[in-house]
Amino acid sequence: MTVAKFLAAASRSLTIAFPAVVATCGLAAGVAGAEEWGTIKGRFLYGGEAPTAAELKADKDVEVCGKHKLVNEELSVGADKGVANVVVFVRDKGVKVHPDAAAEAKAAKVVLDNKDCRFSPHVVVVHTGQPLIIKNSDTVGHNSNVNTIKNPPSNSLIPAGGESSIPFANEEAIPAAITCNIHPWMKAWVVVRPNPYAAVSAADGSFEIKNVPAGEVELQLWHEKAGYIGEISVGGKSEKIAKGRRKVKVEAAGTNLGDMVLAPGLFQK
Amino acid sequence: MNRFSRIAFLLAAGCLLSAGCGKTPNASYRLNMVEATKQRLTTEQEQQVATVLLAMFGTPDDPVALPEFGLDEAKLRLASGPVRSDIVGRKNGLYREHCAHCHGVTGDGMGPTAAFLNPYPRDYRPGVFKFKSTERADKPTHADLLRILRNGIAGTSMPSFALLSEPQIDALAEYVKYLSIRGETELSLMRAFFELDDDAQGKLPETREFLVDETAGPIAEKWKSAAAAQIPVPDMPADIDLVASIAKGRELFYGDKANCVKCHGVTGLGDGQANDYDDWNKAIVEINKEIQGGLAKAGETSTSGMSSEDAAEHRKQVAWLGKFSHVVDGDALTPRTIPPRNLRLGVYRGGRRPLDLYYRIHAGINGAPMPAAKGTVPPEDIWHIVNYIRSLPYEFDGELGADRPMVARDRF
Repeated sequence: MTVAKFLAAASRSLTIAFPAVVATCGLAAGVAGAEEWGTIKGRFLYGGEAPTAAELKADKDVEVCGKHKLVNEELSVGADKGVANVVVFVRDKGVKVHPDAAAEAKAAKVVLDNKDCRFSPHVVVVHTGQPLIIKNSDTVGHNSNVNTIKNPPSNSLIPAGGESSIPFANEEAIPAAITCNIHPWMKAWVVVRPNPYAAVSAADGSFEIKNVPAGEVELQLWHEKAGYIGEISVGGKSEKIAKGRRKVKVEAAGTNLGDMVLAPGLFQK
Repeated sequence: MNRFSRIAFLLAAGCLLSAGCGKTPNASYRLNMVEATKQRLTTEQEQQVATVLLAMFGTPDDPVALPEFGLDEAKLRLASGPVRSDIVGRKNGLYREHCAHCHGVTGDGMGPTAAFLNPYPRDYRPGVFKFKSTERADKPTHADLLRILRNGIAGTSMPSFALLSEPQIDALAEYVKYLSIRGETELSLMRAFFELDDDAQGKLPETREFLVDETAGPIAEKWKSAAAAQIPVPDMPADIDLVASIAKGRELFYGDKANCVKCHGVTGLGDGQANDYDDWNKAIVEINKEIQGGLAKAGETSTSGMSSEDAAEHRKQVAWLGKFSHVVDGDALTPRTIPPRNLRLGVYRGGRRPLDLYYRIHAGINGAPMPAAKGTVPPEDIWHIVNYIRSLPYEFDGELGADRPMVARDRF
């Protein structure tokens, strides 16, 4: 096929595809039209014996970093089996945003700190247009190599006591790793979403997303070690969720997804 | 058939079988199998990427560029195809004559000689280039590529092509851009499958809007806007006191802010504490970690207690790990760490002009661990660091003056 023919064919299929797009948008708008909002809650639990995180050896800036007990944070399971750092976000494109949620997100200052030779927190969420402040509370210098795909990647020096502001104009399809080249064991993740409906599970595995439009939304679940989570178990019943996508119904009174158990096999990469 | 014609026939058949007789076999682009496998693409999906790329970029013998790419097809023709003379006796096929043996026909940095070189030749496909006059995340300008082609990269296997004519160098720079836009588009297409909604049934939309406006167009746009993204460099003050500047640069080099010493070492020999990988090698290191971890775990797992569905899933995963391991063996070079530069040799890969060193310090080196001083170290301080670095190969002890001229003979 010649290029001209190919692209002519391509434009034809575009005109066919277009009404379908309009139809989907209409559907989404209809859901949000009710102007009711709800909170999504849930908790992630580890479906096996809680693994102990391996200790990391600080072989750089030993006099400073060697003082801290550093552990591998790829998979962090609490005493009550809560899985921390699971990312949950609303995937629906053009989802209606509650004014409070928008205002709250706008006012929030998202900070990633280089502290005790590790990144704190391990996973940060920003939405497009919201800068990420990377600071350094340590007495040694760091750098923060931000490996974004849809946004210009950056790698700034963050001297002791210094900070740097990283803008994000575009959403990222997968969370992007932030690393320090001076201390290669340091790793954090930034999730860049086009709306404020995203959360990271806390140390006890729980998360909460407030002010989501009532009706059906599609959540997407991601974890550093598991990638997009392909299977969860709720009330002893296993549920396959392709690409970590799970449709849930948001009630104005609140939706509690309960305990979602993640099988150890998911993290075995 | 008489005896003579039988021999002629056999000779002809022999030629056909060996594809010889002076005709080179058609070259073809290699699909980025590491990314395809990483994204778990099906054979149909790989085929779709290949078909779409063929339509948008043509073949190594017959490259095409859509008007949106802003590339000059006449230059691409001069650089592409087998080595030959055109109708006016001008040499064509320059890329395959001069570049492909290291950088590969596809521009994947995997030509036949690549494995023997240290550092490895650049893989153009991620669209990341180190030595340029633009900000870290931006593409190099056309002039940046011309400079690298003319001067080569000191301290690496990249030679100078100064013996080629200006139009030839120009054509090669254009072709590198073309291969890079093609490779980055390929990566982008392969990653786009994951984002598809279920109703797309695992097929990318073959629309101009998706392929050109959303995927290849924005990549080409970054190349087009590179010239406007040049780093503004204030002149080094004309009345600068070199001795004082070098002394200030030394303070900065060892100081907490610029922190050069951390990686380049107290000796400046590049023997600091850094032993990280560059981005190209790190990607393979992480893939290897995933494969090895997965295979080790699979070895310990027994399918006997599993449901038949889970066992099938497990077997699928093991098969994928095996395939991935095989792909990485064949399609990626063994990862190597990147040592920080030895600053006392007087060898600077990105160019030895003070301006080149200014660019490196200001923007860092894209794809490498070297971070950007921009925003942390003010421009005049960057100049002081440049002056200090430039003094390092000469054992300068800070006591330059009328009574102590820097005579080369006196240094040892």
